[in-house]
Formats: sequence, structure tokens, C-alpha cells
Amino acid sequence: MTFYKDPEQNETKTLHKFTDIARKRVLEIGCGEGRLTWRYAAASHSTIGLDPDKDAVRVATYDRPSALVNKVHFANAQAQYIPFHKETFDIAILAWSL
Amino acid sequence: MEHEGMVHALSEIRRVLAPEGVLIDLRPFSDEWRIEVVSARETVETGHFTPSPIGVADDEAASQAMADVEARGWFKREDETYFPFHYVWDTASEMEKWIDEEWEGVATLSEDAKYATRSAWALGDADSQVRVKVRMLITRWNVVKE
Repeated sequence: MTFYKDPEQNETKTLHKFTDIARKRVLEIGCGEGRLTWRYAAASHSTIGLDPDKDAVRVATYDRPSALVNKVHFANAQAQYIPFHKETFDIAILAWSL
Repeated sequence: MEHEGMVHALSEIRRVLAPEGVLIDLRPFSDEWRIEVVSARETVETGHFTPSPIGVADDEAASQAMADVEARGWFKREDETYFPFHYVWDTASEMEKWIDEEWEGVATLSEDAKYATRSAWALGDADSQVRVKVRMLITRWNVVKE
């Protein structure tokens, strides 16, 4: 099946218009398999993706490019219990998850 | 996620955000997603999905949760806009297979709309594709801390 999501990249373009991710510590809630994550994470200082779906987190981690191994990490967690200390992030992205 | 769960999640997000931190809320709206057959020459609208009551209720709950946390002074709305997000298939049958497998309970498509889409695609130009246009909302919120 030939299938495309957002081929014009409207989502990525709008996200970058709305916030400057460069060198920021980013938390993405509802990262899924990392579809959106890979569109911005390289510019960030660091990115953490959370998702309650273990299989999706496994796929995202597997797909992580070697160049981003030290910058991007994924964890199985829900938004109601974010496993990080207070004031850890500069930007939080609710990605199709509220 | 229930309303209370959403508010709790937003309190957690506020906790882990630094002062001057930003929350980006990015979500699709479950209103009528339009179906189009598109080619370089033309765009033909062939119908729309009927949103599920659950999806509409989820939209309302999410908007209410954001309104609640704004009223509590946790976040301040800075900017928002809508933009289109397209799902695109090379054929009408591929779209039907996808919605049967992936969108059950999310949105439904009438037999009339399926037939209209198949017909428009079959009679369309060689480069015709089928796409579903979803309306997305992005909102930027600044965290407010005492």
C-alpha cells in the first residue's frame, strides 16, 4: 500500500513557526513511533518521547538514527505521571494526545 | 483520557516545565474530515467522514481541560491556528482498506461517499490520488509559575 501522512509537512512547518526548538530540552507526550519526533529532534538540545504504548516506544527506539542516540530517548509512561524532576524541560509537546 | 486525567496530566506538564517554558498542544479535530480526489489538474471533493460521538466528546473534554487550567492560572494562551493535515493514498481501495483497519470507531464513511470516491478516482487523471483532509489545531501556551 502506498500511503503518505502529511506529505506537505504542514505539521512540522507549523510547529517550527510556533516555537523555536533549537537547543531546547523537549518533552513530547504521545510520541507514538516517533513520526513527529524525527521532524524536529535533531535541532533540540535533547528530546524525551513518552508514550503509554510499549510497542510504539520499542519501534521508536529501534528507528532512532545513530546520530541521535545521545540526544533522543523514549520511555513508556503516561502523561498523568511524568517520571522527571520538576523544571526539567523548556518545551512540552502534546502530540495528538490530550 | 477523562477530564480529571487531562487536568492532572496538565499539572504534571506544568511541574516539569521550566519557568518561561512553553506547552504546544497539537491535535486533530473530529469534525467532518473531507475526502478529495486530487491530481495536478484538479481537486474533486467526494464526501466526508462522519465523526464518532466519542471523538467529538474527546475534543470537547480536551478543550474544557485547557480552559480549566487557563482559569486556574497555570498556563496562558499565546497563539493558536488551524492547519490541514492530509492522509494520502494512491488508490481509493487503499483508502478503504486503511479506514477499515485503522479508523474503526474513529470516523465512519458512508457507502455513497465510498462509491463517489471510487468513481472520481477511476475517472480521474493518471496521477490521481485520494486524500483525507483533517483539520488540526495548534496552540502555544506559556507556563505560569508563582
